[in-house]
Amino acid sequence: MKLRSSMAASLVGLSVSLAPAYAAVSPLDLVQPIADYKIYVQGKIDTLVKDTKAFTDAVKSGDLAKAKALYAPARVNYETIEPIAELFSDLDGAIDSRADDHEQKEKSADFYGFHRIEYALFSQNTTDGLGPLADKLNADVLDLQKRVAGLTVPPDKAVDGAAGLLEEVASSKISGEEDRYSHTDLWDFQANIDGAQKIVALVEPLVSKEDPALIKTVNDNFATVDGILAKYKTGDGFETYDKLSNADRKALAGPVTALAEDLSKLKGTLGLN
Amino acid sequence: MTTREKPILPKTTRRSLLIGVVAGALTPQLAAAGNTSVTDAPESDSVHQRQPFYGEHQPGIVTPRPAAGLVASFDVLAQNRAGLERLFKTLTERTGFLMQGGTPPSLDPKFPAADSGILGPVVTPDNLTITTSLGASLFDEHFGLQAQKPRRLSRMTSFSNDALREEFCHGDLLLQFCSNTPDTNIHALRDIVRNTPDSLLLRWKQEGSVPVRPPSPGKPKESARNFLGFRDGSANPDTTDAELMKQIVWVQPGADEPGWTAGGSYQAVRLIRNFVERWDRTPLQEQQSIIGRNKASGAPFGGATEADVPNYAGDPQGKTTPLDAHIRLANPRTAEAMAHRLLRRPFNYSNGVSKANQMDMGLLFIAYQADLERGFIAVQTRLSGEPLEEYIKPFGGGYFFALPGVRDETDFLGRALLEAAESSSTHS
Repeated sequence: MKLRSSMAASLVGLSVSLAPAYAAVSPLDLVQPIADYKIYVQGKIDTLVKDTKAFTDAVKSGDLAKAKALYAPARVNYETIEPIAELFSDLDGAIDSRADDHEQKEKSADFYGFHRIEYALFSQNTTDGLGPLADKLNADVLDLQKRVAGLTVPPDKAVDGAAGLLEEVASSKISGEEDRYSHTDLWDFQANIDGAQKIVALVEPLVSKEDPALIKTVNDNFATVDGILAKYKTGDGFETYDKLSNADRKALAGPVTALAEDLSKLKGTLGLN
Repeated sequence: MTTREKPILPKTTRRSLLIGVVAGALTPQLAAAGNTSVTDAPESDSVHQRQPFYGEHQPGIVTPRPAAGLVASFDVLAQNRAGLERLFKTLTERTGFLMQGGTPPSLDPKFPAADSGILGPVVTPDNLTITTSLGASLFDEHFGLQAQKPRRLSRMTSFSNDALREEFCHGDLLLQFCSNTPDTNIHALRDIVRNTPDSLLLRWKQEGSVPVRPPSPGKPKESARNFLGFRDGSANPDTTDAELMKQIVWVQPGADEPGWTAGGSYQAVRLIRNFVERWDRTPLQEQQSIIGRNKASGAPFGGATEADVPNYAGDPQGKTTPLDAHIRLANPRTAEAMAHRLLRRPFNYSNGVSKANQMDMGLLFIAYQADLERGFIAVQTRLSGEPLEEYIKPFGGGYFFALPGVRDETDFLGRALLEAAESSSTHS
């Protein structure tokens, strides 16, 4: 190891990295990736609508075991396309807010959506009285489907969605706070990562032209995260969050934080405001 | 690795940066003198104070303690020794910049900015020091550093009065930030966290401060007071005495230690809650008996000033200073006790409200010594069972080894450690 010789170079580092500008990506170059992204989002929402119906049917029929089993697979569709769903903040709050978002926590009258039902199913172990909540969740995802169909996806929101999904993972998925009653956090974790990877894949040819090193680092870190999560896959999903070893949680934190940092440059690299 | 080093300056930036600097200098102050607002920034020339970074020892150990401190403990996520070297070099480079101050690079605004901006466009040094130390857990098989572990470095274990909480304990690497203001420490912490996304994971942090006093020329210096209201550090050794510091603080070449440790120092960090409501309801004479000093003057019993040395030899029964008074147990002033001296560098912390609706505040204890076992561990063991324990509850912290200093621009933190590990693995 030659420790001394590399030092002079490293000391300059960030503070003096003067360099040529990026060639701006033409807005036209983004038309196709964004169109493809909308198709992907709509596909996920169609599945979300179908799976949510099956889930809420189980809830309303009082089939507790089935409702528990359908909870995580129904919501992963939402988690993959969260950057778009979050454009409709009223629906996002209704569908996906957590008890923490409400002053009276689980007792709050305005706490509904997936996590409210999760609380009843997994913490209170009952489907009693969930009928109105189930109907509302169904209506809300149908509303989302309708609104997204009429949406012109803003390119900056789509591209920045990759960073947003990683910020979600870094701030709440890695701590196991998302699905605190069912402990199905790893389903959501993977869905966030999948959704971010989809966005990166769509713009990868454009980003590669500007900054090939960025794409390589990002893809390497995605692979590391996918590799660790794969250890926790079961036949139809994932182990519960408490099975995640402390060593793996730490091993995930590095690439997740690095991804959040690197993906925050995606928009700028593509010349988007 | 991240691509943080990736240059993202647009072509025009270099020139516009220069223009910006000149234009900024010529811009008249919008708020004319006399036109003040409650939200005007407080002003002080001390933001320009600067401590040297390069030297035989790291800064922030015998450097006079400024008003604000912060310690942050991390897990090291680096995968191998090369990753660890990259981390050490990043820490060296960022510490050098932050202690020196200056203008961070101006990036294309389509990208996240290089600096958080909380100190403004020009980073002021504000007396900042950053001190890097390593925990015992870094010297495991993960990096193959077992043979290089400082001999007295261990994972902190509970003393009799401790109620350690894992989420506030230990760590692979600890950074101590000290400066004139909490904002400068926070700026530095955020800079380093930002620059080490894949190699450091924050475990816990604790901020602290000490009360500032007006200058008193011609009078002896006084130790800052802790949240018990007593002067803290009265018996500290004189840090301007280089020979004394060699005995007490710095690991010496030829010591019974791995060679790379010379110039470093063992660091004990303890988070010690004070039950201040109960303390404030305790009679003054009882407080003074528990500590062993006069509260107002800081003088030991039978003395007149804080600097006076108590005469325990003439008080074997403890009639003047109780035998179990804090300062007497901590430093019995015997020849034997001289071997256990350490350098205290504490701050006071305040963290909100406990579950019992009492104030959660106390001491962010930091001490440096050349031998952890003869220093902090021996002294704390002697303090076990002291009457003060009724009023304090240690709940966090850890033991670390502060690396030797960075000598010049060609050196970096941890270089000697990595070189020693490298040569021992190639020769064995």
